[in-house]
Amino acid sequence: MSLVKLSKVTKTFGTVVVLQEVDLSIEAGEVVVLVGPSGSGKSTLLRCINALEPINGGDLIVDNISVRAGRSQIRAIRQEAGMVFQQFNLFPQMTALQNVAFGPRHVRGAGKAEALAQAQALLAKVGLAERGHHYPSELSGGQQQRVAIARALAVKPKLMLFDEPTSALDPELRHEVLQVMKSLAEEGMTMIVVTHEMAFAREVGTRLIFMEDGKISVDGDPASLLSNPDNQRLREFLQHVH
Amino acid sequence: MEFDWSVIVDATPALLGGARLTVLITLVGLAGGLAVGFVAGLMRAYGGRFLSALAFTYIELIRGTPIVVQVMFIYFALPVLADIRVNPMTAAMTAIIVNAGAYIAEIVRGSFLSVHKGLKEAGLAMGLPMWKVLLYIIGPVAFRRMIPPLGNQFIVSLKDTSLFIVIGVGELTRQGQEIMAANFRAVEIWTAVAILYLLMTGTLTLILRITEKRMRML
Ligand SMILES: Nc1ncnc2c1ncn2[C@@H]1O[C@H](COP(=O)(O)OP(=O)(O)OP(=O)(O)O)[C@@H](O)[C@H]1O
Ligand SMILES: [Mg+2]
Repeated sequence: MSLVKLSKVTKTFGTVVVLQEVDLSIEAGEVVVLVGPSGSGKSTLLRCINALEPINGGDLIVDNISVRAGRSQIRAIRQEAGMVFQQFNLFPQMTALQNVAFGPRHVRGAGKAEALAQAQALLAKVGLAERGHHYPSELSGGQQQRVAIARALAVKPKLMLFDEPTSALDPELRHEVLQVMKSLAEEGMTMIVVTHEMAFAREVGTRLIFMEDGKISVDGDPASLLSNPDNQRLREFLQHVH
Repeated sequence: MEFDWSVIVDATPALLGGARLTVLITLVGLAGGLAVGFVAGLMRAYGGRFLSALAFTYIELIRGTPIVVQVMFIYFALPVLADIRVNPMTAAMTAIIVNAGAYIAEIVRGSFLSVHKGLKEAGLAMGLPMWKVLLYIIGPVAFRRMIPPLGNQFIVSLKDTSLFIVIGVGELTRQGQEIMAANFRAVEIWTAVAILYLLMTGTLTLILRITEKRMRML
């Protein structure tokens, strides 16, 4: 049974068709790297999986729940599909530790002590054990994004969605975030990652998907696709991002 | 003419009594106004079409009419229309609640909507219900942004209580008016009244400054 299954998913904004009858199945343990030109619908695809955007046609099943089900079902999906944003979106009034402890407490119903202990362990995991008492504004972009990853992990999702997690970071800060993502993949986390980091796609990805105009046009093994892109548009795209 | 300090000394008990009523009307009015304003502001920002339209109508009705007309309506027209008889103090407090509520609603709406939408999405994306997103995530950020405009509204409302002279509430301005009518010492009385208002608004400003300083703006 697939963890994520899209069947003819269509998404429109007004008259603009952003996703056109997309079919896609993702199994547990896959690390899917999603690439494509700006406006091709990558972010929208991730947001539909997390039910942040409602779909207009077809069906989308996450962990056996349809995004078309009711509100409480949608919340259940969101707990299983952690999301990491380009702009981090940490809660500014909370320290790093409070940010990470928030989900367990308010989504999973954990007690305060338990949530804080978990949060401390997750901060250690992303290399920020000493930064728990800092507010987001006191952290670098790379540190903030690692806190954001820990915050998403704290809810214990089955799947992690990353939308250009390193695009807002200076090049020298990207590595620390990619490193955390890599070790997450090595632990067997199912991930869908929108990124321009082709080295990450090659090294960590188990599957590369190229999107164009709201459709999936290439879907295959990252290493072979990157060294020998037989699709003309993918080849042109890769020349641009390199 | 001579500034006669004894006039002020004699008038002080009555003026302080008036000031006490002014403070009372303001405190009750603003507490109620905050409650009304939060509800109406959140209805405007997040309510469906119906709730939003309802709040919009209320806000525009109040912002479009003078507070003197509003209190006259409550005091003189409501008894005729709905057979609701209210005493002047109740009418005065209600007028501040209803009036400040409308302005506070706009402050609440504006500051909630000014919070970066990524925060709402981050909250929803982890599976929180919308009310928890508003209460724990957007609310605390929005609240800090509300303090300066709220302070402004508090001061306006405090001074608006002087208009309730029209329904005979014995607040500070009314007391000044009555004493002056008896002794004709306009300079002394209105100076004393002005200073008492300044003391009250000054205290409010101080409290707000301290609150603002204690909170990190976000
Ligand atoms: N909320 C919205 N309202 C209207 N149109 C939208 C909205 N969100 C996205 N779009 C449109 O949908 C299309 C796909 O957007 P999307 O953000 O999914 O692209 P993307 O592949 O993530 O692009 P990028 O690489 O620039 O992030 C674009 O044409 C965009 O303008
Ligand atoms: Mg995008």
